[in-house]
Amino acid sequence: MKDSKDSKELFKEFKIQSVSEFFRRNAAMLGYTGKIRSMTTLIHEAVTNALDACEEAGILPYVRVEIEELGSEHYKIIVEDNGPGIPENYIAHVFGKMLAGTKAHRNIQSRGQQGIGISGAVMFAQMTSGKATRVITSTGGDIIEAWVMIDVEKNEGKIVKKTKHENPTGWRGTRIELEVKDVRYIRSKQGPYWYLKLTAIANPHAHIELIEPDGRLIVFPRSSKEIPEPPVEMKPHPKGVITDDVFRMAKKTRRETVKRFLIGEFSRISDQRVEELVRYIAALRLIKKEDKNRRKQLLERLANGEIDIILRSYGKKGKQALRAARKLIEKEPAKLTWHETEEIVEAFKYMKFLAPPTHGLRPIGEINIERGLVSILKPEFVTALTRSPKVYRGGVPFQVEVGLAFGGNIENGFNLLRYANRVPLLFDAGSCVTTLATKSVDWKRYKVDDLESAPLIIMINVLSVHVPYTSTGKQSIASEEEIYEEIRLALMEVGRRLKRYLSGKHRKLYVVKRRKTLEKYVDEIAKALSVLVNEPEEEVRNYFVELITRKFEEVETEKVEEVVMTSPGVEEVNEESE
Amino acid sequence: MPIKREKPKERFSYDPKKVIKKLEDLGKEILELVREGRNPFIDIPTRGLSNVYFDERSRLIKMGNKLSRRYFLNVAHARKFMQTLLIAAYVKRLVSEGKHASLREAYYANKHSLAGSKENTFESQSESDPIIEDLERTLGVLREEMHLTADRRGYVYGDLTIRDGEDEFNCSKLGMGGWAVPGTVEHLEFVNINADYVLVVETAAMADRLIEEKYPKKEKAIIIATQGQASRGVRRLIHRLHYEEGLPIIVFTDGDPYGWYIYSTIKQGSINLAYLSEKLATPEAKFVGMTMDDVEKYDLRNVTEKLKGIPPNKRGGPSGDYKRIIEEMNYPWFKTKEWQRQLKLALKWGVRIEQQALANKSLEFVAKKYLPEKIAKEELLP
Repeated sequence: MKDSKDSKELFKEFKIQSVSEFFRRNAAMLGYTGKIRSMTTLIHEAVTNALDACEEAGILPYVRVEIEELGSEHYKIIVEDNGPGIPENYIAHVFGKMLAGTKAHRNIQSRGQQGIGISGAVMFAQMTSGKATRVITSTGGDIIEAWVMIDVEKNEGKIVKKTKHENPTGWRGTRIELEVKDVRYIRSKQGPYWYLKLTAIANPHAHIELIEPDGRLIVFPRSSKEIPEPPVEMKPHPKGVITDDVFRMAKKTRRETVKRFLIGEFSRISDQRVEELVRYIAALRLIKKEDKNRRKQLLERLANGEIDIILRSYGKKGKQALRAARKLIEKEPAKLTWHETEEIVEAFKYMKFLAPPTHGLRPIGEINIERGLVSILKPEFVTALTRSPKVYRGGVPFQVEVGLAFGGNIENGFNLLRYANRVPLLFDAGSCVTTLATKSVDWKRYKVDDLESAPLIIMINVLSVHVPYTSTGKQSIASEEEIYEEIRLALMEVGRRLKRYLSGKHRKLYVVKRRKTLEKYVDEIAKALSVLVNEPEEEVRNYFVELITRKFEEVETEKVEEVVMTSPGVEEVNEESE
Repeated sequence: MPIKREKPKERFSYDPKKVIKKLEDLGKEILELVREGRNPFIDIPTRGLSNVYFDERSRLIKMGNKLSRRYFLNVAHARKFMQTLLIAAYVKRLVSEGKHASLREAYYANKHSLAGSKENTFESQSESDPIIEDLERTLGVLREEMHLTADRRGYVYGDLTIRDGEDEFNCSKLGMGGWAVPGTVEHLEFVNINADYVLVVETAAMADRLIEEKYPKKEKAIIIATQGQASRGVRRLIHRLHYEEGLPIIVFTDGDPYGWYIYSTIKQGSINLAYLSEKLATPEAKFVGMTMDDVEKYDLRNVTEKLKGIPPNKRGGPSGDYKRIIEEMNYPWFKTKEWQRQLKLALKWGVRIEQQALANKSLEFVAKKYLPEKIAKEELLP
């Protein structure tokens, strides 16, 4: 008994350690490294939660972030929204369950990237300050005030204290108060101010406010009343999966056969494709038995689509292999072995499928990007472009959006605003595909002579079910060729629009200047000419005023003044150059 | 055959009404274009070497017929367009009121700020002077005829009675300094002339020497000192004396490229004022000296001076005087045998000779021997 008690204790300790240990070990992946970044991550999690909740409930979000400084590197972070509120019995679950992220492992474009979400923030607060997180929420009825902690033993949320308040005004929403230490507030390009500003640009339907520790209130007002549609889950595309994905899905599925499972839970797999899959698996099994050179040769032919010829060349053996492979398809998915799953995924690589569906991607949209840029940056010129969805690595759909804002209130100095699925990326800019693509564009072509000192802001949003990040930090998008090219194409198009605008602007300024120059001389000319021709000055003046007016009315369709030879014997008539 | 006064070839013809008419026509053309809603312009003969040629028949440097068109609706032209009209209107007032103004007065009279701007109609005289020249070329009317005058330079001495407005005087009775030639000589009337020819002298010092030696009286000559390059007034006076009064013109300059160029300007006109050659130049003028032959003939070797610059056969050459001489050798009017010989000798010897070098012989030498002998023997260059 003693032994078992000890082991129980040990196990308990191990468990306690494991949750906080997990947190610490994965701090980088979860975004909790460094004092500034941790602060930004906390706010990111809370704001994302708020925005998602509002979107799902079809409410125009109003999010208020307040940061109070309690001491040195000791803050209280308050995030309040006007969302649907959290039902009483869900509070512990929403804020407490670690690694229960509903979005992890789902084929859906989502803001939450880490799959740990707000519970991570609660955990971080608990670990640094020892304090519970205060949650005040209401779905319209009573207001519930709850203090949430994470039970590291059970790995779940625990309400430490709870009170109910009356709600005479019918307030609805959620307010969370996190007390944290070991963080720092700085108004830098990696701090909460910048994060919220970028969030506001990408979410023009949201009204976002920030109260900084010194009491300063910053408002990023709403500029659009369109609530984005929530993203739809997309079935994975056979070219976009790895063995582990298929294996796990097979274990969970309720379908009766592998065939039904593949058809039902993947996109672009039909009866026909499954039949084809059987042939490929059979062929691959046969080919694997060949010696190295022959194998290489046959695999090449297979990749070229010569599946039928290859199978036929095996004759009887081929037919046997086909029968064996067909058995695999008729199996119960749960009984699929790792090796068999590998065979399926390998066969996928040689097969051809339709490109994956892209209906699940939810771009911000050109109009909304422009609204966001205009309302937050107050530029002189703005344009946005949403490219049509494309596929990278053969099977992963993605989409690129680019916004460009120039001049006006924008200060000199170029800024690139990077987003993945609408979420601002504030770190690791250097290695990000958006940075690389932006640098690769020759901006001089678009009348931006010196990019670094231009009053120019470009925002790039890369949307995908699986954004290919360069590292677990998820702050930098990998340079996939297709994504790189799409970004470049989008940048060049908005660049052309900027150029058109800038040339038009110069032309207009030039025209105004020309007109002024000419008008300046009219009085003098009228006076002189009236002396020469003995006609009233006012009359002469009017002729000239009319001439100028007419000239600039038709300035758009201006032609080069034709030089007419009037005097005979004139060899050459040159316009005077000045 | 001694040089004598000939029959006049031209009659004095200055009519202020013509000038006013031309100015009014210019204004009317412009007004007409504006009324029609067309872009008004002024055609101005192009200035500069590119629009100049030597007319072999008249032996004058003449202006070509290239035109620059100055448009109002062209931002680069508008200011000059305005300035041209401003000066034109000013000239009309001057001429109709019978008043004269200097170039500087014309500048100040028309300089004022433009309404609602810091800009002035003219910022400096260097803006108004070219506009006046433009107007001369456009209208084919002399600046002098437009009652605009330049500073006086050069003087005239000799038995020549002039009526200048209400004054009438004889140019040999005004003291040793003679009468300073005004910028405008259009209005002068030559009442009486008692002379056989006009001697144009480059330097005032030489002219003074000749006057002191009573050369004008003894030789029946009118002396005009140009004091360097001849001013427009002097050139016009020479032209009028030759064409209206039939007086032969003989030019006496230093024996150097600069002196020869003074002669060339008097005779053929200049590139800058090519459009006025017919009124300013006197192709019949002849050249008495100084020549390279004089150096030999009068044994003046020891009073020559070296040419400035680098000779053509040396490194970096030709430059300075040498370069100038070579240029002059290529002028069509210096293509004569006589002139080519003089210029070649100058190059060969690398020397120049001043008028005053003749004083090496004696002060009277130039008046008593050099000039009378050469002119009597017609040892003159064309």
